[in-house]
Amino acid sequence: MTTRQKPELLAPAGNLEKLKFAIHYGADAVYIGGRQFGLRSKAGNFTFDEMREGVAFANKYGAKVYVATNIIAHNENLEGAHEYFKNLYEVGVSAVIAADPALIQSCREAAPDLEIHISTQASIANWRTAQFWKNEGIPRVVLAREVSVEEIREMKEKVDIEIEAFIHGAMCISYSGRCVLSNHMTSRDANRGGCAQSCRWKYDLFEDGNDDDISLSEQADEKYTMSAQDLSMVEHLPDLIEAGVDSLKIEGRMKSIHYVATVVNVYRKIIDTYFEDPDHYQIDPAWIDEIWKAAQRSLSTAFYYNEPTDKDQLFGKPDRIPKYDFAGLVLDYDQQTQIATIQQRNSFGVGDEVEFFGPHFYHFKQTITELWDEQGESIDRAKHAMMTTKIKVDQPLKYYDMMRKQK
Amino acid sequence: MMCLYKPELQATAKDLDEVKALTKAGADAIVLGNQQFGNRVCGDFTLDQVKSATDWLHLEGKRIYIMVNAIFHNDHLKQLPDYLKTLETFGVDGIIAGDQAIFQLLDELNLTLPLTWNPATLSTNYQTLNFWHQRGLKRATLSNELSLDAVIEIKQKVAFPIEIQVHGMTCIFQSKRKLIRNYYNHIKEDYNPEQMRFIKEDKKDDTHYPIFEDGNGTHIMSNEDLVMIEYLDQILEAEIDGLLINGILKTKSYNEKIVSIYREAIDTYLNNPRHYQIKKSGWRQAIEDIQPEQRAMNTGFYFKEQIY
Repeated sequence: MTTRQKPELLAPAGNLEKLKFAIHYGADAVYIGGRQFGLRSKAGNFTFDEMREGVAFANKYGAKVYVATNIIAHNENLEGAHEYFKNLYEVGVSAVIAADPALIQSCREAAPDLEIHISTQASIANWRTAQFWKNEGIPRVVLAREVSVEEIREMKEKVDIEIEAFIHGAMCISYSGRCVLSNHMTSRDANRGGCAQSCRWKYDLFEDGNDDDISLSEQADEKYTMSAQDLSMVEHLPDLIEAGVDSLKIEGRMKSIHYVATVVNVYRKIIDTYFEDPDHYQIDPAWIDEIWKAAQRSLSTAFYYNEPTDKDQLFGKPDRIPKYDFAGLVLDYDQQTQIATIQQRNSFGVGDEVEFFGPHFYHFKQTITELWDEQGESIDRAKHAMMTTKIKVDQPLKYYDMMRKQK
Repeated sequence: MMCLYKPELQATAKDLDEVKALTKAGADAIVLGNQQFGNRVCGDFTLDQVKSATDWLHLEGKRIYIMVNAIFHNDHLKQLPDYLKTLETFGVDGIIAGDQAIFQLLDELNLTLPLTWNPATLSTNYQTLNFWHQRGLKRATLSNELSLDAVIEIKQKVAFPIEIQVHGMTCIFQSKRKLIRNYYNHIKEDYNPEQMRFIKEDKKDDTHYPIFEDGNGTHIMSNEDLVMIEYLDQILEAEIDGLLINGILKTKSYNEKIVSIYREAIDTYLNNPRHYQIKKSGWRQAIEDIQPEQRAMNTGFYFKEQIY
């Protein structure tokens, strides 16, 4: 029987809508990016007003909002940091996630009561480094993705600090922050949000002194690449919980609403099921099935058990993974008529096999038999983006439930 | 007026022979290490060899810095205290490290080994470096992805010595994974760890990124060799304290020649800047003459804009 507290389930939120879905589907906390100092310059990213709205929404659910300020700053980026952290504090976010001590210091000076978490970009991979940050007054560190479950256990035994660890999503194949391929190959600064993901490109590998000028890649008919499979701890979550991880983190501020809702839903279910009865915990194959519906690459446990091999990398053509579209968002449901009002997010129509799902791992599948537009006119397909439709459904639905369709 | 500024010309070495050769060629300090604790060391020095190198260099009036710049995992921490204590008894002139565990360790072990802070890509602004200075660094190596203007601004805003690389390839990627071995396994070829390798970008025939594995994972090096011989005036004018020649994956004879060229160029500039201007293109030519065929020369990010 575990005596542990439930760890936090921490989800990415690229914009306000994703924030609401992540929290509604069971995240205890979300991390977002603002307009400055964050590494995902292409994610939606929040204005201070949007942050305020996000914090208010989160508060209703008892959830927290963290802001990533995780760039590695150059001199010219330091300006404005004080004001930015002051604003974040006033907006009411619960913590910032930072890697650069310059920004950590600015935050402390400008907003002494704003909590700081050390980002994975700082590559914290041993207990003494965790201890260093503990002594600095830092309450939480996000670990490097290169640590094993055993190493985490040892860190937690030796240091009284909160540990946040990734459980799902895309990964740098390098130590995060220690790769400047993008800077060199595209002049885009990876550590300031410009990463071009050059590690996932195709290369030719040559052996020195091989004078016939033919690469090994050509001989083997297989390009050289360094693309990591995505991380997933869906089958092993209790190991991380028992090692003492305080916050279980899902990657993906650039990912879709469908992705965030699906992945959060699964891990929420796993955590809750485990804590209901840890001794009789069993994996439900439906959880794994569900995770694959949002998967974009093959999945791996990365460094958590063994050093990753070629089986944890992506070579050649991408693996074939069933792809699902987020087809519609449930806005309303009429119990009397069993008709749901659905906002179209991807084309669907009569005859399509669709799956509805919602928080608490609620699921059912059905074929669409009757479909109407907003005026009540019977239609064959919902072709227009964001159009409001009505569908006769087999089981009850609620606002925030979602409809997906296999591509 | 007497010029008090004297930059330290540093060079990496792969073995004792090279330590001696590069010192005789004009290096003020030698940088070396063992891959158990050091990232991208040029050759593995045992503790006995570190002691020999230290004694020899000190007799010559030169300095020695030991690379302890791995990203530490719990396992490293078991042997690291003994390693550091031994280095202190040898009287080495400093260690080069970039993991925050080092501050704690030096404190706890009561060691006075001077620390050169070098966290590779993370040494990018003066406020960060001042933060680490308050935690105990004595010197800092700046990241290679900085403009020379940024380097100069940092120099003006910190009160401790700073170092930059002026020559050789730079590291542009480090993974803990065995990314070469994994590929060989994947294509079912035997992997020979002694074999040197490089990768090319797809459809870019003139690219050449050396790639190798060591105890700390896989490292990829830059497409071009940094060659700052013609811009030393700006670096020396700014009184940058340490100038590093990284000789990794280069022959001893190449490194010897490079060190002697930079030695001459630095001394010439300090004695008479005008003579430096007259002679600099000749030095560049001398480097070009010995440059390996596949290795292009450039000035890294010192004069290059980055977007993000």
